[in-house]
Amino acid sequence: MNSLTHSLTDLSTVLVDLLFMPLIAFFVGLLMVLMMRKLSARLQRRIGPPFFQPIYDIVKLYSKSTQVSHGLIHEIGIVVAVGGYIASEILLPVPGMDGIADKGGIITLSYFLMIPSLGMALGVGQCANPNGSIGISRALTAMLAYDIPFIIVVFGVATHYQSTSLIGMIDYQQAHQWGIFEMPLLAAAGLFALQGMMGKQPFEIYVAPAEIATGPMVEMSGKFMGGLFVMQSFQFYTAGVLYTSLFLGGGNNWPEFLLKIFLVVSIPMTMAFLFPRYRTEDMVRVMWKWPVMVALIGIAFVM
Amino acid sequence: MNNLDQLFIVSLSGLAIVIIIGLFLPRQATWLAKLSPLLYVGQLLLLIKMASLVYIDAGSASEIQSSFHLHLLGEPLQWRFDALSWFFAIITVVAALFAALFMSGVWGEDYRKKTSANAYTMLHLGLLLNVNSMLLLLASGDFISLFIGWEFVSWASFFMMVLNPQKVARQAAMKYLMYAMTGAMALLAAMAYIYDISGSLQYDIVRLSMSHLSSEQIIPLVILFVVGFAIKMGVIPFHLWQAVAYAETPAPGAIFMGAISARMGLYAIIVVLFQLISMDNFAYIHIPYTFWNVQSVLAWIGALTTIIPTYIALKQNDARHLLAWHGVGQGGYMLLGLVIADNVGSAGGLLHVFNHATYQAALFMTVAAVMYRTGTSNFDKLGGLVSQMPLTFMVMVFSIIGLAGLPPMNGFVSKWMVYRSLLLDGQPLLFVAAVIGTLGTILSVYKLVHNTFLGQLRVEHQEIKEAPLTMLIPMLLLALIIFVTGVMPGLILDWIVPVQAAIGLPPLDYHLGGIILPTGGLDMIWLTLILFYGFAVGAVIFYLIGGRAKHVHQYDNYAGGHFLTAKVRYHYSHNFYAGLMHLIGGWYRGSFVRLEKAIVSLVSFLSQLAENFYRANQPTMLVVAVVVMAIWGIAVGRFG
Repeated sequence: MNSLTHSLTDLSTVLVDLLFMPLIAFFVGLLMVLMMRKLSARLQRRIGPPFFQPIYDIVKLYSKSTQVSHGLIHEIGIVVAVGGYIASEILLPVPGMDGIADKGGIITLSYFLMIPSLGMALGVGQCANPNGSIGISRALTAMLAYDIPFIIVVFGVATHYQSTSLIGMIDYQQAHQWGIFEMPLLAAAGLFALQGMMGKQPFEIYVAPAEIATGPMVEMSGKFMGGLFVMQSFQFYTAGVLYTSLFLGGGNNWPEFLLKIFLVVSIPMTMAFLFPRYRTEDMVRVMWKWPVMVALIGIAFVM
Repeated sequence: MNNLDQLFIVSLSGLAIVIIIGLFLPRQATWLAKLSPLLYVGQLLLLIKMASLVYIDAGSASEIQSSFHLHLLGEPLQWRFDALSWFFAIITVVAALFAALFMSGVWGEDYRKKTSANAYTMLHLGLLLNVNSMLLLLASGDFISLFIGWEFVSWASFFMMVLNPQKVARQAAMKYLMYAMTGAMALLAAMAYIYDISGSLQYDIVRLSMSHLSSEQIIPLVILFVVGFAIKMGVIPFHLWQAVAYAETPAPGAIFMGAISARMGLYAIIVVLFQLISMDNFAYIHIPYTFWNVQSVLAWIGALTTIIPTYIALKQNDARHLLAWHGVGQGGYMLLGLVIADNVGSAGGLLHVFNHATYQAALFMTVAAVMYRTGTSNFDKLGGLVSQMPLTFMVMVFSIIGLAGLPPMNGFVSKWMVYRSLLLDGQPLLFVAAVIGTLGTILSVYKLVHNTFLGQLRVEHQEIKEAPLTMLIPMLLLALIIFVTGVMPGLILDWIVPVQAAIGLPPLDYHLGGIILPTGGLDMIWLTLILFYGFAVGAVIFYLIGGRAKHVHQYDNYAGGHFLTAKVRYHYSHNFYAGLMHLIGGWYRGSFVRLEKAIVSLVSFLSQLAENFYRANQPTMLVVAVVVMAIWGIAVGRFG
């Protein structure tokens, strides 16, 4: 009887996590999108959009009358892109909610985060537009570029904490010291990789946000674009939480946690407006050189 | 007569039936073709009866001895099955069953019409020969039977390769033969060396004498064995022969050989390096004048085998060649995982043998189906087939997710285990190498699926239909296996753990959904549920909220103000990763190809020299010989 109640409580906890973890991620992600726009506006001496602008945008995109679909895979691509992130959020522990983070650690999460890219790649592929395909070829190349320093960082961090579980890593940091103080080189390399992972300047050629007609989003209209907008807010949130869990000790409570993740994503967002754009191959070159070098030296310290 | 004897009898009588019908009753050959999967079903049933080798009860034996014995040069020859043999055998037979299913239907009819009834019977014969010889090799119980099995496997593969009469295939087969001969010679030399050391070729005696060998004795032995077996596996630097040879074989041959054939090399490596010598010793055997030990050298060979062939695959412009190159590359993960020799990594390497067989067979089937409908596997002549062949596309997507090692398909689990053990073992560079291989695979498989199924549909393909049912059924079954064993890897880990015990490795702690580890395990059942929950929420958001999407024709597309018509090729497929190639293109220097060419030139030069020597003028040679002898005699007399 006791074990039954126990498992029932477990189940209800998981169900609550399933509902709230993605929901929180969504709203926090929207706030991050707002922050990005506000930051860029302030840096360019504008006022920037009103508070609810990200929501207005989503409502606008979803309710457009022109919604062009190039077939089932085009639609499934968007579903997978959004769904993959929703699933990933449940693997990311936040204060008070661990979701199923104990069922798969950082390696699993790194591979979960490739599923949305694959979904989007398949969706864009079916649009039969060469501009979209070129965008995907660049996006996958970019993934090859930023994932190598990122994975070295993951290796170093997991070796240092002697665990691949994010919960274990956060516990370690809260008992000892934040990872950023114990592994400053890995933290720096991780931040560099984050810039590419979030697709911010100078590494935004594969998103091509400024020239939609010649990038992967060329055939995305209405809610297809809306889905990608939602995906972007999840992406910002994921990047912030992941970095916070690896290097900033996770969070004891929500205000502290939110402060940390907003701080983390504000760095790439600010940096973005200081740089022009790199070509794909230049992005690969710079990613394989500096962050990889720094991360390898960082690993030498933790081994 | 026990189950192993019955297995050999069933397997050989299948061969006899095919030969008799092919020779004397050619009219019945079509019936034979339809019923040929039954031959493998029989073998599969016998293997299932032997399943006590892996599902160990209290009373079950760890080995099944065949009652068939031979004596050769005073050495007894024996054949037996243990958990390791069983594991490889069941993959072999199931792969052959799927290949036979695939060719028993429309594909076979088509092949028979295009070639001849005789050629079609030969294809069946080739498949049976391959299965027979592999079972013989897997059952070998001493070095002589190992060598016999090894040679049969080599020649059976060669038989399969030359069934394609085209020049490129014949050349690849000849090249393979040269490699196989080299490997056999290395193996023979190693056996001679072993006989010299231990005075026997029986595994038990050899195992005993191996334990007190010095490292000066072990290193040449390991080199000879690894060269012999690694050639079959296509490990660096012997990777050049395999891809073309497998890709150009007729489709069922490519399905079967791509799935399992090259793994016979891995099996033999396991027998020698794990069962006979034990991998634990290798970490202590240092290579003279370096910081390396034998284990780390083997691990790096595995890691380079994951990287180099994978990036060669990335450059291929033909679906079959791309897949075959990946087959070479994935072998690297298996070797890498095994060589780490801890419980997680070795289980990952072994599990990858099974996983690779499933998705590689499925992928070759999808490509064969596309070739059946369109007549080509050239990326420049395909595109947009998803609207015409949606189920084939689905199978390909399932399989490429497996090949790329992304959740929730089975390839993810085995690669995760390899990564995890590299992490536990503290091997950052090997870990990064493994990940570089995986990332290259993701790029390459997207190119495969994009250039075949996505993008613009060509005018000449607009009337194409879905692949016929006889092709779809094996494909869909394989896709199901890929998914189910991905979600419940415990089903296959049931087989792996006894294998680990049989080859002297620590067993893995696992459950149905994955791996138990104190510092972060894996539970695929939960992960898959969560993933599908995510997709479900994503689908609700997409389909229930917002306006209705309107389906448009592919020419109703943004083209910078131009109108698209059927005449306009609006597809990006050639040189798909132009940006990346701009950077790494220069790294493809073909060093191995040049090395191969240099060796070929050297050998032909030496043989020419020898031939000239033999044909030279006899009296002149006599004079030269006398002079040389005289000088030598004087020198010895004077200074000796």
